[in-house]
Amino acid sequence: MDALLDYDVNYFRRQETRVDETALSGSSGASLWGKPVDVRVDRVVREFGATPALRGVSIDIAAGELVALLGPSGSGKTTLLRILAGLDAPNAGRVTFAGEDALRLSVQQRHIGFVFQSYALFRSMKVFDNIAFGLTVRPLWRRPRKSEIRRRVMELLDLVQLSGLENRYPSQLSGGQRQRVALARALAIEPRMLLLDEPFGALDAKVRRELRRWLREIHDRTGHTTVFVTHDQEEAIELADRIAVLNNGQIEQVGTPAEIYDKPATPFVASFIGETSALPVGVRSGKLVLDGTPLDISVGGATGGTHNLVFRPHDVTLRPANGGGTVTGRVMSERRHGGSRRLDLEVGPARHRVEIDVPPETENAHRGDFVSFLPSRWWLFEA
Amino acid sequence: MADVAISPPAVHRPVTTEPRAARIVLIAVAVLFLAFFLLLPLVVVFVEALGAGIGTYWKALVDKDALAAIRLTLLVAAIAVPANLVFGVAASWLIAKFEFRGKSVLTTLIDLPFSVSPVTSGLIYVLVFGAQGLLGPWLAAHGVKIIFAVPGIVLATIFVTFPFVARELIPIMQDQGTEDEEAAASLGAHGLTTFFRVTLPNIKWALLYGVLLCNARAMGEFGAVSVVSGKIRGQTNTMPLQVEILYNEYSYVAAFAVASLLALLALVTLAVKSFLEWRYAGELAAQRRH
Repeated sequence: MDALLDYDVNYFRRQETRVDETALSGSSGASLWGKPVDVRVDRVVREFGATPALRGVSIDIAAGELVALLGPSGSGKTTLLRILAGLDAPNAGRVTFAGEDALRLSVQQRHIGFVFQSYALFRSMKVFDNIAFGLTVRPLWRRPRKSEIRRRVMELLDLVQLSGLENRYPSQLSGGQRQRVALARALAIEPRMLLLDEPFGALDAKVRRELRRWLREIHDRTGHTTVFVTHDQEEAIELADRIAVLNNGQIEQVGTPAEIYDKPATPFVASFIGETSALPVGVRSGKLVLDGTPLDISVGGATGGTHNLVFRPHDVTLRPANGGGTVTGRVMSERRHGGSRRLDLEVGPARHRVEIDVPPETENAHRGDFVSFLPSRWWLFEA
Repeated sequence: MADVAISPPAVHRPVTTEPRAARIVLIAVAVLFLAFFLLLPLVVVFVEALGAGIGTYWKALVDKDALAAIRLTLLVAAIAVPANLVFGVAASWLIAKFEFRGKSVLTTLIDLPFSVSPVTSGLIYVLVFGAQGLLGPWLAAHGVKIIFAVPGIVLATIFVTFPFVARELIPIMQDQGTEDEEAAASLGAHGLTTFFRVTLPNIKWALLYGVLLCNARAMGEFGAVSVVSGKIRGQTNTMPLQVEILYNEYSYVAAFAVASLLALLALVTLAVKSFLEWRYAGELAAQRRH
């Protein structure tokens, strides 16, 4: 029993801890403490009154994986996170941790490190007591000795680079520091899983980027199964192993950042991850047709009917204006966009608006000029 | 490039400040008002009480009936304040941290003692527990005496002072939300541990103010208590009632002596509050900013 509860000093530093951890398991109930678990969410439904927040969400998360739940506000991502933590319960569906029914466990029993969007640090306690909280509330027979708790807290402070601040109150810390205290407090209980709700939402851009990299490092060092909620696609792409894109209470797509970015499964995913332009097109004898004019784009499987041609502004090739088979539009406005120039085009008699990026020095592509192009990479979605 | 002289800005007054004259007038009005309505009566109480010398003052205080009144007042406060502390914390916890049907009704009920005249509240107890009241015959048959006895005074005081703690706590608890409690739960803390380690420390200052106010009112309550007390000397007279009786008997010195004790109590309450604020200024400021 002692070995199970003993906090491994080098838990966060050693990669080979996995081996030790298997040795720790095997006791009833508490067998999985501290060991990363795999998670299975199966057709989870959650309704608030008549409004559905989750409409049958399923996702498998591997042990030690870092997963982002990405979606606009109201998409249900935070609700899903709270259900995983046990702070909320689904109306239907199953949630299992390492094959064990998680819904039967209370918040306390789930043993999950949860970092709140507002951090929810205990304002009446100093940083030290905040981090130690999870250990000091354990029942006596499982509570580490005072000196032991102190050692762990100091180690965690070191891990989150806040050594020396243990006697401050939360209000005396900056946003980024509070965020790290919240993380240390969650890690102190040796959680089976780490859940973070908009972990960088309240921070300014620079701190956000630093903490992002730092969180990735912590995750790689500690190996926890980690799920975080964000509405920032850049954050999800940079940080996560896999991204689950949620919209309107449903998962639209789960995949690696590259998959999500390069092969969006739905128009929503395409437009939510990165910028997109879209044109309504038809299909005639294997070619796309825009406003009655065939384009120089062949499609194999697609049949008739209307579709949306979706592409990224930077995935376009300029074509000579008289070539035909291209998309031609008049430049309505132009502006600098990163390393290129972004043109706002009005295409055809129906005046579809699209945005494309061209090299800044491109000639004859200014306000009032006509520009022809074809998307070099595109997706076709049923309209 | 031409040398552009940067002219000093015209005298700029912060937008939230008033002209000097207006400030002086406003401050003078406030100070005069405070002096006339608050400070002067307080001074008069002590001057009158000590007017006939310290010996007379002391004799008035150690009078048998005066001592009984002091004892009764302390007893009533010692029961009413802890009772309302528990009720108040429980009620505000319920209202601030949970959603349930009838919540607004409960919130209104808590305010009831503030809106009802104390005399009316006293009368309600007479009508319920009195000899001719609803439960009167049953109580009499079982030998329980509530009206014109200490239990009635305690009940009336609890009723009148009920809102003080809850009113102080509800806004701050609502403001703090339930995230701290959720965080504590996710860290493995159960209900009571969370309450004592997280919820209570978060509200301790508001709670202290609530208790101090509640105590001041419990000791000073006159209206409701005078209806249920029966004013039996040495038995059911609290300090405020004793003051009134003495005053009506033209025993001015004795009346002011007892009154001065009540005033002293108020001053001590204020002093304790100020001391605590000064002593924990850092912690207090730190928590407010959070």
